Amino acid sequence: MKMPTIVSEFRAGLANGQLLIQNCTDCEQPNMWPRYACPHCQSENLGWRVSGGKGSLHSFCVLRQGAPEGFEEDLPYAIGVVKLDEGVQLAVRLVPDAPGDWESYSCDDRVEFLAVSAEQIEKRPVATFRRVGG
Amino acid sequence: MMAEEWTLHVSPGAANDPVFVGVGEIPTGKFPDRGFIQALTKVALLALKDAGMVPRDIDTIMLIPNLHGAADQADLVFSRMVEELGIHGTCKSSYMIHSGGSTSDNAVRAAHGLIATGHAQNILVLQCERWGSADLNEMITMLSKNGIPGEWELPSGIQFNAIGAMITRRYMHASGSSAADMASVCVTLRNWANLNENAMYYTKPLTVEQVLASRMVADPLHSYECPPMADGACAFVMTNTANAKKRGITNAVRVAGSGGCVSHYCLSQERDQAVLGWPLAAERAWNQSGWGPQDADIAEIYDSYAAVTTIAIEGIGIAAKGEGARWFAAGNGNPGGKLPTNTNGGLLSAGHTGVGGGTALLVEGIRQLLHRAPDKRQVENCQKAIIGGSGGSYMDAQILLLERTKLGA
Repeated sequence: MKMPTIVSEFRAGLANGQLLIQNCTDCEQPNMWPRYACPHCQSENLGWRVSGGKGSLHSFCVLRQGAPEGFEEDLPYAIGVVKLDEGVQLAVRLVPDAPGDWESYSCDDRVEFLAVSAEQIEKRPVATFRRVGG
Repeated sequence: MMAEEWTLHVSPGAANDPVFVGVGEIPTGKFPDRGFIQALTKVALLALKDAGMVPRDIDTIMLIPNLHGAADQADLVFSRMVEELGIHGTCKSSYMIHSGGSTSDNAVRAAHGLIATGHAQNILVLQCERWGSADLNEMITMLSKNGIPGEWELPSGIQFNAIGAMITRRYMHASGSSAADMASVCVTLRNWANLNENAMYYTKPLTVEQVLASRMVADPLHSYECPPMADGACAFVMTNTANAKKRGITNAVRVAGSGGCVSHYCLSQERDQAVLGWPLAAERAWNQSGWGPQDADIAEIYDSYAAVTTIAIEGIGIAAKGEGARWFAAGNGNPGGKLPTNTNGGLLSAGHTGVGGGTALLVEGIRQLLHRAPDKRQVENCQKAIIGGSGGSYMDAQILLLERTKLGA
């Protein structure tokens, strides 16, 4: 099956260095993850806005063992949940302080989106964040 | 959000009031030579014997799914157990209920409705899982697809321990609980497992120091804080009160009410990982039953990670907000404690049997209320139990309130 447009456009945004949030053309609410109909007003008129890329880190973990198939070479890696200032949430990868070390991170830290290369997004289509001032 | 009033349309002693009348279980652990259908047949017969029934008495079989393999799942779905038990030709229906770790709670709701309305009379609920004998890497990869959207979150490399670790970190941050507080939950569960011959870790004691010294798997989770994947099987039987009386059953277990809340599908969309759906689920359960948390004699709450349980007991009101882990550290959930909790050892010490972990907790709750647990762990005069379950990426909080009921002659 062809990749749905909401997925390919979101990933194209990441590859272009932009974090896109789905935006309802009718009720103007932001949606994340992107949906096929607006969960607020059920409209199918959905577009995109570029996120300011700032938010707070709700929680995170550092996976050291037991990666899913295909992720073994990434270990260790940190996954977080970010609450964007726009009011929506997403799962992200976190930039380490040093290889294998995320010691400086705490819950509720201010974090920001970091653009990565199109090649990296091709391999891992996920947003990357880092601690503000980190 | 305020919970609405939901009236339970059956009352204690009514002819159509559904009751639990028997349970069956075989040891949990690593049993590579114990077959799937063999185990299901065994627990079916154990539960029927406990209920004073034979297979022919059963009109409806309800299946709890397995997560280890599609072929065995197909056997369940397509009525293999009906034939294995020799009730083909008379059995009315056989089918599966599935909501991951909360399946057993939803299976009880479904069976309760079928019995109360007359669609079913005697229901046999069956569960078997072979996680302990499955290929570990295959199971990790399979589990990275449960409650995780492939297009949005899988690319981050998330899997089940990462989900448990994030919930744990947020809970520790919100409550100020220490690593030792979290480890004490695992120790309480182990203390109970040491009283349960069917538990994976029946013979192995555990200390907080051992938990904290185990290797870091997914910060902040140590390996001893991650659920041990196990083989296991259990079953239970439900009927209506009139039929139970006719069969000479004098004591049974009924459903006093339930409450639930599906708070998200994938973890990134949960508004507060240290709260989840428990407060609303609890409010709904109290509204339906007239109970409060102080009424329970035992609690059997889903525990695939310590934080999953501490968050639940706070939302239910067993422990004060932020005090769940310290409640365990103070020994309140232990044998002889204020509220015996997860008296079979739970998923973390009896063994995580996939969808079956919650079923085993439910079966233990029924067993305790029937006063049929072995003496060493039977809670004295056990009358009321809080059962809690959660599925997927802790997508839901499900509460069943069960009570012992005297049926008379």
